[in-house]
Amino acid sequence: MRWHPTRRARILLGFVLAAGVAYWGLGLNLSGLLPKTGGLHLAGDFFSAAWHPAFGYESTGFVPAEAPSFLLKVLHGLWQTLEFAIAAISLAFAFGLVLGILAADCFWAERGSGWQVFRWLLRIVLAAMRSVHELLWALILLAAMGVNPATAVLAILIPYTGTLAKVFSEMLDEGDTRPADALKYLGATPLRVFLFARLPRSFPDITAYAFYRFECAVRSSAVLGFFGFPTVGLYLKQSFENLHYREVWSYLYGLILVVILLEFWSSLIRRRFVA
Amino acid sequence: MEQPPSAFRLSRVEVQLGGNSVLRDIDLSIAAGERIALVGPSGAGKTTLLRVFTGVIGPRQGTVEVQGIPIHQLKPKALRKLRSRIGFVHQDHSLIPNLRVAQNVVAGRLGQRSLVPALRSMLWPNREELEEAHRLLERVGIADKLFQRTDSLSGGQQQRVALARALFQRPQSLLADEPVASVDPARSRSLIQLMVALAEEENWTLVVSLHDMELARDFFPRVIGLRKAHVFYDGSPQELDSTHIKELYQLEEEPHASST
Repeated sequence: MRWHPTRRARILLGFVLAAGVAYWGLGLNLSGLLPKTGGLHLAGDFFSAAWHPAFGYESTGFVPAEAPSFLLKVLHGLWQTLEFAIAAISLAFAFGLVLGILAADCFWAERGSGWQVFRWLLRIVLAAMRSVHELLWALILLAAMGVNPATAVLAILIPYTGTLAKVFSEMLDEGDTRPADALKYLGATPLRVFLFARLPRSFPDITAYAFYRFECAVRSSAVLGFFGFPTVGLYLKQSFENLHYREVWSYLYGLILVVILLEFWSSLIRRRFVA
Repeated sequence: MEQPPSAFRLSRVEVQLGGNSVLRDIDLSIAAGERIALVGPSGAGKTTLLRVFTGVIGPRQGTVEVQGIPIHQLKPKALRKLRSRIGFVHQDHSLIPNLRVAQNVVAGRLGQRSLVPALRSMLWPNREELEEAHRLLERVGIADKLFQRTDSLSGGQQQRVALARALFQRPQSLLADEPVASVDPARSRSLIQLMVALAEEENWTLVVSLHDMELARDFFPRVIGLRKAHVFYDGSPQELDSTHIKELYQLEEEPHASST
């Protein structure tokens, strides 16, 4: 008897091989995970700080007298993080919706092939926008524009618009086509079928996904602080460099709290749309 | 006196889908105001025939006339205008689920209005439109559902909304493709009864495809039976005896079926 690998088995084998090649190529070694004694101390300090996050500055030596209290600084950092995220996601939503509609197949139903060429060019541009991560966009834009709020907003805006537009266009194309067909049967033009059936039908999905991306934008905004933008990431990095681990944990807990609150808010809104 | 044109008239129509003949050699004439049940096994071509009536599917051969107009000559715009005069009730899921019932009813006139007024009446239906929608929902027996989200209604109720949408459209004829296939038996009887009553009041030409032979017998003066892409029976339900029915629903022999 001969062994016939089924399609599924071949795919699985492919994944296992690819993983094996990656491990081998990186020279991964489990002993690398065992920390050196110094590292062990450092890790111990860092994680024990998790149990008592700071509520005030850990050392007042470097803090100017007129500086705000530490907790205010945490709140300020979180608020700035949100501000960057809101500025970026609101523009990304508007651009993403327009470009997503233009990139959807069903929007161009019964149109000439010239429009199909336009649609494919648009899809390529969208792919290029999202294939560069927001941190890389920040690096490129920093070189051109310097540390400036618009730089950070643009760095998030570009890849997020690309992602939102791609996902929105797929949601528009893949939903149930039966309501749209019904409008076609009663004499509606393709544009009307799109506006009155496809678009409203996809709206709950579009909203839910936009909320999820907002959450991602908050994280991106926080990380962009590492480049010097005044989000919570900047303060977190400074505290880390000063070995003020308890302050680091205060910022981390604050960030986790913000994401949980956002999740709570978005699930309330989602329930209204889906119920 | 000249005869008024048939509501639908097919001569020597052949339709192919994906290389298979789905309808062959169909000659049919349906007079304005007639009420017809379309019966036959699944895959006999009932859905295709109804689609041919609306011009959504074009025939490979033969001519299709609607109100005396040969529709294969029509430009897309004229074809849409013709469709806006034909109501169509689909099997299910033809309504936009996350809109209000009123919005789905008002959508009935989407093929007859220009874009901006159509948008306005979907987003902010005015008092007259709401009152009309309410009156129509009253006629189909679900007046209290005007502002409900459409997907919160049962399958039978949604079919009544689809009927109200067709009423709002003010068509000359109503086609229905298995409208009760997803509705439980007790409710499907009253839904067909309602459809026939509305057709009489509105003087619609009514063509309904059905699985239930009993419903066809009880409510329709003319029954058209399709079998293997052909018209197998066309006449009154009284003459449609049990041997006819047995033959109509007789399954194809196995070797024949697998050779296609």
